[in-house]
Amino acid sequence: MEKLTIENLSFCYQKNDSKVLNDLNLKLPDGTMNLLFGPSGCGKSTLMKIIAGLYPEYAGHVLSGTINFNEQSTENWTTRDIAKHIAILFQNPTDQFSMTTVKQEFIFTLENLGYPRQQMDQRIQHALERLDIAHFIDRRLDSLSGGELQKVSLAITLAMDCDLIILDEPFACIDLKSRQQLLKLLKDLQVNDGKTILVSDHDLMGYQDIIDNLFHFQAGQIVKVNDTQHIFQRYQKANQSLQFSLPEKSESIVDLCNLQLKNGQKPLITDSSLEFSNGKLILLTGENGSGKSAFFSALTKLHDYSGLIEYQHKNIQKYNSRKYARQIGLVFQDAQMQYLKLTLQEEIDLSLKHTRYQDFWTKKRVKDYLQLLHLDHLREHIVYQLSGGQKKKLQIFEMLILGNPVLLLDEPLSGLDLDSTKAVMEMIKSIASQQSQTIVMISHQLGGLNGFFDYHLQLADQKLSYTEVLNYESIS
Amino acid sequence: MNPSLKLGLVLIASFEIAFMQSIVANITIAALGLLYLLSKRVSLKKLLWLLLVPIIPVIGTWLSFYAHGTGDVFHSAWLLSTRIYAYIYLGGILTLTVSVEDLLGSLEQNCHIPTKFVYGTLGAFNFVPRVNQTVKQMKIAALMRGEVLHVWSPEIFFKSILVSLRWSDNLAQAMQSHGFSEYTKRSHYQTYSIPKWNWALAVILLICLQILAFGHFI
Repeated sequence: MEKLTIENLSFCYQKNDSKVLNDLNLKLPDGTMNLLFGPSGCGKSTLMKIIAGLYPEYAGHVLSGTINFNEQSTENWTTRDIAKHIAILFQNPTDQFSMTTVKQEFIFTLENLGYPRQQMDQRIQHALERLDIAHFIDRRLDSLSGGELQKVSLAITLAMDCDLIILDEPFACIDLKSRQQLLKLLKDLQVNDGKTILVSDHDLMGYQDIIDNLFHFQAGQIVKVNDTQHIFQRYQKANQSLQFSLPEKSESIVDLCNLQLKNGQKPLITDSSLEFSNGKLILLTGENGSGKSAFFSALTKLHDYSGLIEYQHKNIQKYNSRKYARQIGLVFQDAQMQYLKLTLQEEIDLSLKHTRYQDFWTKKRVKDYLQLLHLDHLREHIVYQLSGGQKKKLQIFEMLILGNPVLLLDEPLSGLDLDSTKAVMEMIKSIASQQSQTIVMISHQLGGLNGFFDYHLQLADQKLSYTEVLNYESIS
Repeated sequence: MNPSLKLGLVLIASFEIAFMQSIVANITIAALGLLYLLSKRVSLKKLLWLLLVPIIPVIGTWLSFYAHGTGDVFHSAWLLSTRIYAYIYLGGILTLTVSVEDLLGSLEQNCHIPTKFVYGTLGAFNFVPRVNQTVKQMKIAALMRGEVLHVWSPEIFFKSILVSLRWSDNLAQAMQSHGFSEYTKRSHYQTYSIPKWNWALAVILLICLQILAFGHFI
């Protein structure tokens, strides 16, 4: 029997716009594990939100098509009908919850579905135990890492008793170890609990032995891949490593002394002492939720810490915040956080007004870099309407123009394709060396980074330390 | 006492205090409020805080009525300054002994307030820490680009609106993905009822309040 059948589905965000889904067909047999792959931004999330009944309510228009669940039309289903059968896990796990603690979120969900009060405790207990996370019950949701939140989300789908679980790029925000655990868990739910599962991903690593069907999303349509061997071979996992040198005694610009960092009760960094050498490019890596972003927040006085952080041999707490902000810059993960004006040109002008290197930033130089980033023709565009990748590139460029002595970049490469990554890295390297800046960059994406960095700083087991070799798994 | 009933009583009392001309009534209400808070074991630090924080407005009110008032200046100075304390302790009864979750839960079940309002508000309360952090981030992000954002800067409003639009959409989708709908009947894990003695106590308190309001006290 088919669990889910989609026939001739067409969808667009704005009427008269091009169709995101164009006459799409999909069949998911009952109790199977299915993978939908395609590049980022191709429309996978759109399809998943339609299946989960969120679109077109929240965005867009369905132009045609039918969705059948257990061979019955879902056209007249209420929110509760959908929630009892189909569960969706969002790309960003923090977007999934509306209550404060794990237990409250469970209760909220079960109340929504109208389960009698007497059953609730038992249902919650069962679901949490099934995923081995019974001890999470009273934890606050904001104290859990991305991988832990995904597990809680899965547990909630069990308590809801959904038979179809759809996961929208569930591993985009979590590290390799959690990814492997969750994949194992999903397989377990499929085999032992008879769930039908649909996962979307742009990365095929780890799926080969566990999926029943592979679907390829392209040009608004879905094609079932019959020769899966061939596709997986192209995505062979390869062990790679990057080499770095270790810092030698030299002039330092930032010194950490017995730094301790916590997220609520959870210790992130304990007792780390080291320095950033002036004018070097440093890559910072560590598992998800290990505290890399919190470390950057501490360096920019956005997060409490204990111990001592010195900038140019003076305690950063003793700097006036206005002056200090012009010394250590931070490229936020969310590009929009950085914008203050409306158009791309105004944004660039603002940075040019405050740059430390007025002579360096000639009109021609700005134009050359904008062309390198393929942004030159967009000067009059509204920055909030640029695509994800364009936003990111503009953000990095305008922060580089300022020429702060230290620039911290938090995942600046996420959402960039390989060509853009290369262009951005070359730009960072050349501008930083000409303005003698110290760069510290967090990145999950390690492909194409060979040769760009001087040092590698690792955050592991709550310690920050420099290492010579960084081993990682990648898709070749 | 049931949170909704408590809210109702506090609202009625606050309304009547505004018209009462009696210092004794104000002090009685403030003292009863303090006694109630003590009986509920609210920490002494908080109670002291309630006493100290309003001291400047209280003295200010007293002095301005004493210096510039007309008629019986002494009476109006004491009346207005004790009224502040009556309000403060009435507010304390509500905020220090009832949690937001309980109040909203009770309003949903006892007063049949729309669930969309109840859970929207609750969700918004859960966003408060994120709001503070985000405003701080916005300010620092602007400083890094050489601009100072003040409370009155249009940029900060524009950016806040953009962020809230995104959050409200995310919150709505998060709630719906967990089965929330304003049209279906929900079950309740925690139930709130109004026992008979609650009603009786409320009636007694209201009668006492009328005596204070209409009796001829100083």
